[in-house]
Amino acid sequence: MWRLLEGPQTLGRGRWFWTGFVVCLGIAAGYPVFVDGYTVGNTVYFFDWVFMALGLCLIWGYGGALSFGQTAFFGLSGYGYGVLTTDFGAAHGFTLLALLLSVGLAAAFAALLGYFLFFGRISGVFLGIVTLSVTLVCERFMSQTAGPEWHVGAARLNGYNGMNAMPPLTLPWSGGDIVLFPDIGLYYLVLALLVLVYLALRMLVNSRFGNVLVAIRENPERAEMLGYDVRLYQLAAFVIGSALAGLSGALYTSWGQYITPSSMGLNAAALPIVWVAVGGRHDLTATLVGTLVVLAGFQALTIYGSQYALVVMGALLVATVLLAPRGLVAGPVEALLRRRRPGSAR
Amino acid sequence: MASLLNLLYQCGDSFAFLVLSALGLAVIFGMMGVINLAHGEFIMCGAMVTVSVARLGLPLPVAIACGALVAGVIGIVLERLVIRHLYGRPLDSIVATWGISLIATQGTLILVGSSLPGVGTPFTSVSLGGNSYPVYRLLLIAVAVALLGALYLLFNVTRYGTVARATIALPHMAEALGVDTGRVYSLTFGLGAALAGLTGGLYAPTMTIVPTMGGTFLMEAFATVVIGGTDVFIGTAPAAAVLGVVKALATSWEGQLIGQVALLVAVIAMVRVLPRGVSGWLLQERG
Amino acid sequence: MSALLQTEALDKHYGGLHVTAGVSLALEEGEIHCLIGPNGAGKSTLFKLILGAVLPSGGRILYAGEDITNLKPFQRIRRGMSVKFQVPGIFQALTVRQNLAIALQHHLARAHLDREIDRLLEFLGLHAAGLQRASELSHGQKQWLEIGMAVALKPRLLLLDEPTAGMSPDETHATGELVRSLNRAGVTVLAVEHDMEFVRQVAQRVSVLHLGRIFAQGSMQEIVADERVAEIYFGETRYD
Repeated sequence: MWRLLEGPQTLGRGRWFWTGFVVCLGIAAGYPVFVDGYTVGNTVYFFDWVFMALGLCLIWGYGGALSFGQTAFFGLSGYGYGVLTTDFGAAHGFTLLALLLSVGLAAAFAALLGYFLFFGRISGVFLGIVTLSVTLVCERFMSQTAGPEWHVGAARLNGYNGMNAMPPLTLPWSGGDIVLFPDIGLYYLVLALLVLVYLALRMLVNSRFGNVLVAIRENPERAEMLGYDVRLYQLAAFVIGSALAGLSGALYTSWGQYITPSSMGLNAAALPIVWVAVGGRHDLTATLVGTLVVLAGFQALTIYGSQYALVVMGALLVATVLLAPRGLVAGPVEALLRRRRPGSAR
Repeated sequence: MASLLNLLYQCGDSFAFLVLSALGLAVIFGMMGVINLAHGEFIMCGAMVTVSVARLGLPLPVAIACGALVAGVIGIVLERLVIRHLYGRPLDSIVATWGISLIATQGTLILVGSSLPGVGTPFTSVSLGGNSYPVYRLLLIAVAVALLGALYLLFNVTRYGTVARATIALPHMAEALGVDTGRVYSLTFGLGAALAGLTGGLYAPTMTIVPTMGGTFLMEAFATVVIGGTDVFIGTAPAAAVLGVVKALATSWEGQLIGQVALLVAVIAMVRVLPRGVSGWLLQERG
Repeated sequence: MSALLQTEALDKHYGGLHVTAGVSLALEEGEIHCLIGPNGAGKSTLFKLILGAVLPSGGRILYAGEDITNLKPFQRIRRGMSVKFQVPGIFQALTVRQNLAIALQHHLARAHLDREIDRLLEFLGLHAAGLQRASELSHGQKQWLEIGMAVALKPRLLLLDEPTAGMSPDETHATGELVRSLNRAGVTVLAVEHDMEFVRQVAQRVSVLHLGRIFAQGSMQEIVADERVAEIYFGETRYD
């Protein structure tokens, strides 16, 4: 089973890669000791988004299905976490259950939507614009829930302003609950989750399932003529990827204790596309690295105003598609690997 | 009787909005296989140019024409700079146009500010059967129908239309016959952009002019193109008619938002039944 | 002998145009059956109907006694059909080994996968190319790779759509020998083919499709001797 960690579907392999991986992990583990609390919390914020990026990488990069609406699952799960924890509180570790339930909610919605789309045999660009429409409608729906009639139990949805003041993740403990505010505790929890998800996805894409998924991306007709139910594989990838978007949403909501409809809007929906495309959608590691770099760059630019940052994101996206369609991280690495081992490029 | 008339007006209004939202997108998609996600920004551009020109004192029709023209020219430039390099890569071109859309919306926000002063709606209302209807919106319905007719003539009668259809059907053959296919694509993209600009100009008097206004049209445009498929005439028009009724019924029942939700649900349900769109289905039936 | 595959009055029309007009074809278990006919006779449509890539307007398809008329392509493949297309349908961006693995992993556990891939690569003469991308292969090698993928499914019925298109005479002959050896091992074969040399080499029975119908059927000798067949192939000008 461990041998699935490496394979033709992932770029990094061999002793050097894993040495680097352990070194990076070591740095990540020691990092909070050397920086202030604000930076730790901010890094958790970056980590929160990476799950959605990895999920999109699976759906788009490996499965070849263009989903522009991952933010719909992000938002749904975020609101789910908000409603559940506002209604039922944080005692007895309920926030952790709420996290799981919210992710489950996102996955269930993805399964329902994906059933109609993939079993309707909807093709590339259409899938993109239908999923984008879904997230836009979700945004508009949530924006008009300002009135008092829009509530679930005691939780008001608050329209354009969104929900806030829900409890953060809370671990039950014998000496009193541990509340995970954006600081060192939450940092280690999310880091552990991230490593777990990254490694699990590596194993998934190098498994038989991953093989078939990539085959479907390359040539769906042939994959079907080898006896695979293309629709089922695409649906499965879509549900897994959307559940990860949901995980991002719930983590984000618990991190900042707020969620707004704009998290499902047009600009929000564009950002995951930028991260994944710029990093390199065909590879998990490239997506991971690309997402963190672009997020950090975006935040640095926001100092000058978010509209400037978004212009740069747009330019980055156009430049990537035109100049380095395989991604600014993955492209050069692939070229290097091919030069080092001519003829045996996988 | 009055409520029936009212519903009829609602359907016509929705139909016009759907047709006008989608035409530019549908022409570019049908002819070039490219989904232009910057479609909404061409609409916004048309609207902004229209109100700016109108406020100089020129008549509204002239201002609207200017809006369409400017959007069309920008479209041609964009095709040369970006889209041209992405033919045969539809998934990449949709991503690239999204990047352009981000640049255009946020760039406008920086350059123009968060909103432009609008122009008033021309004409007043007429009253029919006890209800009053704004004349301008009735006019928009007529314009939508006239535009469909004009496009039909453009593609079936003029030389550009013949050459364009030949290029779409058999690009290599057209090239071998001496057609400058690059120019055809350029003009087609420009045409789509100009149609979007025209839509922006037409709706400019009825809306607040903000850099993100393109988003208002996006969902309707997507829905119509997804259901319509690749053919503007046997696809977009019937799709807009069907969706127009759905949207009008849902809107008059529960309001604007439910109208949009119903639109989306109808699209997703219809995709399951007609995966190749209305035109794909009609073409298959006709053989 | 019993029919492994049987089409009953299979009809496909687009509007008023009948592409196949009531084709009744029975394929005996264990035979190599070639389908020939002039261009536009409906061969490729019949092929797609059998695979399920298009659904018929009328008629039935029976496979091993089961009505498969409305089954999806992947369901037919799982019942023991396998197909090799005219244009090599391979996964260009994947390695040759991955291509074979995807075909093999249906019925093989991971532990046996590598050994079976090695065996197939040897058999296909591609052992040196295992780690290359499929897109880097020559045209002939791609054809062989796809044949390998079709064989890897361990089919009961092998469907070949102009399997030797673009092959040199030597490669064509080798493909013919491969088809015969598979047949000796029990595989039933239906081939659509233009290359008469190939048909002569492998066919045990030949059906001639013309204007969407089975026009003539018999051994190669009988078909060659049939004047009406010669007419549709060589005498079309008479009707112009």
